[in-house]
Amino acid sequence: MSGAPSWRARRRTRLVTGAVVNTAIILFALFPILWGLSTSFKPADEILRFPPELIPSNPTLENYALLFRTGIERFVLNSTIVSVAAVVGSLAIGSLAAYAMARLAFRGRTTLMFAVVALMSIPLPSLLVPTFTFLANLGLINSRTGLALLYTAYQLPIVVWILYGYFLSLPIELENAARIDGYSRLETLWKIVLPLSGPGLVASGLFVLTFAWNDFVVAVVMISSEDYKTLPVAIYGYLGFYGREWGPLTASAILSIIPVIAVFVVFQRFFLGGMTSGGVKS
Amino acid sequence: MTSIGNVSAVGPPGRARRTGPLRRLAPDEWRAFGFVAPLVLLEIVFVTIPLLLGIYYSLFRVDYFELTAFRGLENYTRMLTSPTILSALVATTVFTIGALVLTLTVGMALALHLERDSRWNVAVRAVALVPYVIAMLVGSLLLRWMFSKDAGLIGAALGPFGLGEATILADPTAAMGALIFNAVWRDSAFAMILLLAGLKSIPPELFAAARVDGAGPFMRFRRITVPLMRIPILITLVRLMIHFVNVLTFALILTGGGPNNATQTLGLAMYRLGFVEFRLGEANALALLVFLFNLILIAINLVLFRQRRGAGR
Repeated sequence: MSGAPSWRARRRTRLVTGAVVNTAIILFALFPILWGLSTSFKPADEILRFPPELIPSNPTLENYALLFRTGIERFVLNSTIVSVAAVVGSLAIGSLAAYAMARLAFRGRTTLMFAVVALMSIPLPSLLVPTFTFLANLGLINSRTGLALLYTAYQLPIVVWILYGYFLSLPIELENAARIDGYSRLETLWKIVLPLSGPGLVASGLFVLTFAWNDFVVAVVMISSEDYKTLPVAIYGYLGFYGREWGPLTASAILSIIPVIAVFVVFQRFFLGGMTSGGVKS
Repeated sequence: MTSIGNVSAVGPPGRARRTGPLRRLAPDEWRAFGFVAPLVLLEIVFVTIPLLLGIYYSLFRVDYFELTAFRGLENYTRMLTSPTILSALVATTVFTIGALVLTLTVGMALALHLERDSRWNVAVRAVALVPYVIAMLVGSLLLRWMFSKDAGLIGAALGPFGLGEATILADPTAAMGALIFNAVWRDSAFAMILLLAGLKSIPPELFAAARVDGAGPFMRFRRITVPLMRIPILITLVRLMIHFVNVLTFALILTGGGPNNATQTLGLAMYRLGFVEFRLGEANALALLVFLFNLILIAINLVLFRQRRGAGR
């Protein structure tokens, strides 16, 4: 170990290396998205120009206009309806179950807890064929209700898990006081526990929201009618329809990304809290 | 899901407990059953029953939902001997191993580099997570555009090396590389988050002590970080493996399984069998074979999960 100047030099090298590595990480993560963003603003005849332009010299909104002329807002609306229904359903059912698991003694509780953890790790693609077979028999194919129910069922385990952990961390004294005042269990949950559980509800709600908004594999299998397609299924349709016209394709990709990024930026810390709590599917 | 479990062992302290399976049900217990009933019902209807029905269908020849002939286990033997499925199995193995090694390595490097909670690090972590939070379909679509010859990026980047005419997605090996790149691009930050949680639970004094003893960064990583992170690393590995073995979106969107089926993974083969060819008997058999393999991974995940809880984290 030598004196102060070398220490300072080493510190500077470390800072510079750190900045270089950070820039590399940011480029690695964002370049494909920024390249798509750039393409989505290019007029059709400039997209295939070589050498490629990273920043469009004649930016245009024609690709986005084309999407709205052909009615992309229907698919955005379908995605929104199904996502919101799944969030409401899974929070309602999930908070009831999580409350029982956190505060009530009942037979099968441990089993249920392990079942919840096991369910969290079932990969969706392996369920697609059997589920399609079953729902087709039930007539729940091609319906927003069917899709919202599926999303609720698939995301409930993670919701229950996050809320269970959250409820356990609340002081039990408040609930005991409410019980003494004659509140029923349901009233205690509704008036005491849930108002205190904002962060837990937001974290679990966000998981359902992004899952339902982003899902492609479940929706593409369960929905074939134009009327009920969600945005990712519509984008997959564009891929077949527009083929090599990457202007409208990248524009539709950007439309799907914008709300997710906005929600992620605002609620970032809730996401991270939920992810480390145990059961997020990759 | 509703069998009798040992409640008292995990219950929060200070609650009245009764033992023995033959006790009368307390009103609270009835209420608890009512509270968890919607959850149990939904999981049974949308997960358990489909799987059971899938088993039933897998024993028949199915033509567009019509069970036309009983086949017994023939669908299973067909799947296990089909050249398409065997080549998909090879593709899945290559993809899973490649994606697993690289995602875990990059995830660990990210976690080590961004370990301190400085303002910069928190921001860079968030940016690294962006490919993970956007739709898988959209990510693969954007990568497909980036890798396509039409975009001109590959030509511009590789032109100086005399590879200007390279077509990544048309070459079997390069296409597999692109598929693995897609996985690493999307899931490294997910691995980073899981590993960061483990990294933070290592007492910093250990590193300080090792440094005093003259251990370099590599030695500290090998002798402290890796042994103490055994469980978080294994959890990350199993979770990523469950994902990679099953994922179908990457291959469906990025490469379409091509060229010449070189990147057709099991997930994609299953999708095509079921929803393009509508051979639901065979597709259910294949789905259940894959599900059986998943059960092994899920069981390992549960054991690790239990161990981590046992360790008090």
